[in-house]
Amino acid sequence: MEPQRKRRKTEESDTFLWEVLPVLSEELSQGIEFLQAYAAPIINKKDTSHLVKKLAAMYPLEGLQHIKRVRACRDKHSPHPLEIIVCLASDLNSKEEGGTIPSITALLHNSESDCTGLGEPFLVQIPAFPPLTRPQFEEASRHWPTSFHEDKQVTVALKGELFSKDEKATMQKYMEQAIEAAKAGKEEGMASVGALIVDPDIDAVLAVAHDCRNSPNPLLHAVMVCIDLIAHGQGGGAYNYKKYPACHFVPTDASHYLANDNSLPSVNLSSLEQATESGLPYICTGYDLYVTREPCVMCAMALVHSRIRRVFFGVISSDGALGTKYKIHTKKDLNHRFEVFKGVMEQDCQKLSQL
Amino acid sequence: MVYNNEILGRGRNEVNETKNATRHAEMVAIDQVLEWCHCNDKDPGDVFERTVLYVTVEPCIMCAGALRLLRIPLVVYGCKNDRFGGCGSVLDIPADDLPQTGAPFKCISGYRAEEAVEMLKMFYKQENPNAPKSKARKKD
Repeated sequence: MEPQRKRRKTEESDTFLWEVLPVLSEELSQGIEFLQAYAAPIINKKDTSHLVKKLAAMYPLEGLQHIKRVRACRDKHSPHPLEIIVCLASDLNSKEEGGTIPSITALLHNSESDCTGLGEPFLVQIPAFPPLTRPQFEEASRHWPTSFHEDKQVTVALKGELFSKDEKATMQKYMEQAIEAAKAGKEEGMASVGALIVDPDIDAVLAVAHDCRNSPNPLLHAVMVCIDLIAHGQGGGAYNYKKYPACHFVPTDASHYLANDNSLPSVNLSSLEQATESGLPYICTGYDLYVTREPCVMCAMALVHSRIRRVFFGVISSDGALGTKYKIHTKKDLNHRFEVFKGVMEQDCQKLSQL
Repeated sequence: MVYNNEILGRGRNEVNETKNATRHAEMVAIDQVLEWCHCNDKDPGDVFERTVLYVTVEPCIMCAGALRLLRIPLVVYGCKNDRFGGCGSVLDIPADDLPQTGAPFKCISGYRAEEAVEMLKMFYKQENPNAPKSKARKKD
């Protein structure tokens, strides 16, 4: 992506009609869970550190290190400026249920000396888990102050600001080719889905595919074709795409620069060699996939097996496995995880389903 | 892959020779059934709906998705697959609510499971000849 390179027409526009958003794991995207706790006013501010120590010994709030024990009173005119968490509602014996709030003496095991300095308790909601994203932090903080170790990249990504204009222009350039492939597939009687795999380090398209499910093989979804075209480029491959000229690949294996119907030696070979100097290309390691719609569960897992680096898709699918029905790319028990972004040229990709 | 008491397809993992990580035994066997349908002028949809898959290891999430898409009614397998299993171990693709992904299927598991585990252990003892050398891997 040398800056001196001539910009394509699509890159001239300063704004994009689409927004690219990350598809984050469940724990990053879910709402906050809360626990009920009893808090009490600190009558005399000077007692605060003493009370924090005493309550921490009596009710340690285990596993809730993110919770700040003390907060400033929200009512600025309150006679007591600070409030403190006494204990979790679940710390009490179950007999004290029924909606009535126990007295501070009951909370402190009827020990009179411990109760001095605290006002009568009231119920509060405190976040059960440390917030992982800024939206979670903001929601959590509306209820009780928590600590937050911000992942800046996640914050920027959630605002749709992770990528620069140049990067979005590159995405658009690739997605346009995937859309063209989808249209070519549609003309062959296939589902209008297109995919392509690029090596982002050298800004090179290595394989372009369209859906081939109405060929003799109903499993040849665009992603499966694209993965197999990469295998062809590396001197392998399982299927033949001679009938589908819009499905093509770039050889990345030196032994492979022979005449081949679907190969396009359009990549700067020396840069490709540099890129692979550290080792021969290995399936889809280090590559990005662009696909017009969210992959199904078969294709999503095929991308795990193929060690894809990132996936960019246009529109969601009702049974999609990269965000809608599953988040295969974030599953911790699988041996490979990758980043997924949605929304690239969303409207244009959406239009494909109406062809 | 058994249809009308006849073996139509028989596959083994072909990932290494094809350099395609999706060439699991199930996918290879599926292709043989498709070829048989083509040669015998049968509709693959009709055939797969009456075909049973026998496989030594629980199909992975990808293969389970493929089997759903083809509407295979029954899968008989040996051992569980804790790493990738899509029929109960990591996910439960045959039973999940996926109305756009073919049809749910039934599974029978555990048949000759010990032998299947032994074969897997043998496999994982081997080196992967295609994987990048450790030098390239350290980049992660």
